[in-house]
Amino acid sequence: MEQTPHILVVDDDREIRDLLGRFLEKNRLRVTAARDAREARRAWVNGHYQLVVLDLMLPGEGGLELARWMRGQSDVPIVMLTAMGEETDRIVGLELGADDYVPKPFNPRELLARIRAVLRRAGDHAEHRAEAGTARALRFADWTLEPARRRLLNPEGVEVALTGGEYDLLMALLERPNRVLTRDMLLDLLRGRQAGPFDRAIDVAISRLRRKLEGGGRSAQLIKTVRGGGYVLAAAVERL
Amino acid sequence: MSLRLWPRTLAARTAVVLLLGLALVQVAGLTIHAFDRIDLQRYAFVRDVAVRSMTVYRAVVLTPPLQRGAVLQELPRGPALSAELSDGPPLLDMPELPPHLQHELQVNMRLVPLPPILRPHDLRMLGGPGLPQLVIGMQLPDGDWLNLTVAVERPRPWHSPAFLWAFVLMTAAAALLTLWAVRRLTRPVGVLAAAAEALGRDVNAPPLPEDGPLEVATAAAAFNTMAARIRRFVQDRTELLTAIGHDLRTPITRLKLRAEFMEDEEQRRKMLSDLDELEAMVSATLAFGRDATSAEPVAPLDLAELLRTVLDEAGDACPDAAERIGYDGPAHMTLRARSLALKRALANLVTNAVNYGGGALVRLAPPADGVVRIDVDDDGPGIPPGELDRVFEPFHRGEPSRNRETGGVGLGLPIARNILRAHGGDVTLANRPSGGVRATVTLPA
Repeated sequence: MEQTPHILVVDDDREIRDLLGRFLEKNRLRVTAARDAREARRAWVNGHYQLVVLDLMLPGEGGLELARWMRGQSDVPIVMLTAMGEETDRIVGLELGADDYVPKPFNPRELLARIRAVLRRAGDHAEHRAEAGTARALRFADWTLEPARRRLLNPEGVEVALTGGEYDLLMALLERPNRVLTRDMLLDLLRGRQAGPFDRAIDVAISRLRRKLEGGGRSAQLIKTVRGGGYVLAAAVERL
Repeated sequence: MSLRLWPRTLAARTAVVLLLGLALVQVAGLTIHAFDRIDLQRYAFVRDVAVRSMTVYRAVVLTPPLQRGAVLQELPRGPALSAELSDGPPLLDMPELPPHLQHELQVNMRLVPLPPILRPHDLRMLGGPGLPQLVIGMQLPDGDWLNLTVAVERPRPWHSPAFLWAFVLMTAAAALLTLWAVRRLTRPVGVLAAAAEALGRDVNAPPLPEDGPLEVATAAAAFNTMAARIRRFVQDRTELLTAIGHDLRTPITRLKLRAEFMEDEEQRRKMLSDLDELEAMVSATLAFGRDATSAEPVAPLDLAELLRTVLDEAGDACPDAAERIGYDGPAHMTLRARSLALKRALANLVTNAVNYGGGALVRLAPPADGVVRIDVDDDGPGIPPGELDRVFEPFHRGEPSRNRETGGVGLGLPIARNILRAHGGDVTLANRPSGGVRATVTLPA
């Protein structure tokens, strides 16, 4: 078994730092907390982290600066806490190479699910993960997905809307083209997002995604069902 | 009748008044001109008759009496004048010529030089205004009479053709000038109205140019000042809201984390749902503050897929209502818009329909006359007619009973309207005859 993942939490609010630390530790993660960029750098030197939870709004040197610095140091996955609805922050954060973002105020369980998903992705796919985060766009079968803007463009360049769950699902499939994703993996992805029973949610999201990707009968089925419970994206993915 | 003739626009009214005035002046001018001309013609006629009469008289008086008849025959007399010699004054059943005309004739007759001794001993003038002829009897020194009959020309005040053309041309030119000037002068009023309209739709509408005539420039400047004050006011309020919203995020985050440590599972669940509600209010407030200055680029998107995605999300969030959520329309329709903003606007309408009306049936109509139309129908209790437009006012929250269970800050519809108007479209609400509310969205295709 692997050891307990070590998380660095950077947030300027003491209460949030403490509570989040306790919450994550309760959920079998090791946490080190830092108040600002200076403390974070010190903690960085003294430890080895599997993931960083970083608040973008830090006093003094901002979260974006710190994220850029960390990116220069290693490929450690970063989950950003962004101000709610600040699209530009999110876009800049993701373009800088954050692996995911959670708007504040966040639902702790959703944050936990995201952390777990990012950790799994990192372990799963160490060699491609960094690229996935920084890719400006992913192209597959003439379609384009822009992670920073969470936009899916059809072959004509027209945006096709996705629900949050559909986006997560498509992203997971694109990061592992031609590899089977088990239902368990997908369940994990969607946890904390959907209200209904997760099992059904996955089937629904997959069928909606298929409908959207096959609009106009342009292409053969891109998302294939694998016997024994899993899905695979049958297309080459190009990173731009 | 008079109401129908009285035009509605300021330009037309001003033009009508000015043109009526112009017509009046022209009629007066023409009358004066006509009287003048009649006077002149009469004067010229009198003078002409006097001189011609005296010329004939002189020729006759200078001729020995026996040859006078022959001379009279050969004398060139000009048109419309007949002369005869008689032993008495003209005996015709005609009135005497009015004294002032007699006087005028006599004065003119003296212009023909003749020794006083040869001048007519006696004069008889018969005729008058309106009579077709004028008869003048002149007594020769030897007692005979020379009686002349002159046909009277009727006065012709409109005789000259050049005059008519000049008149028409002048009138037309003045009328055209009037119309042009009125149009030009009243244009700023239209511009002002358009600017006020634009300000109503978007507080950040560009200012009016402060030029043109002094009054117009002053009005434009006053308008711009007013617009700036409104903008400042809206901005202050929005900034205040945004600041509160930002500040609330930290305590809400803390509370959500604290809830995770609560022992009682049911209380924890309830607290999280309260916090979600609180978060939704803050998020709506922030969205309202932000939409005024949306910097999202316009790009092509599939409106049909966007609507279906919004409906799917509404159904996922509220599985109980999923049965009554549906889409009717084409499978794809491309439109240029700001996708995040448009999605928020449509999601607000759908969420409203689901929350207040228990469901949402969305119908997308293909573009007609450059307009795409979306209907969002629900089967709820409807909205009292007086409230139909007030629900678009920020922080207006319908009747209290509807909100207690569903929450909300009363910003969903104002945000939706702001976004749609920023796209050049709009949204209106109406009660459907069969019950429920219909939100009608229009967007330029």
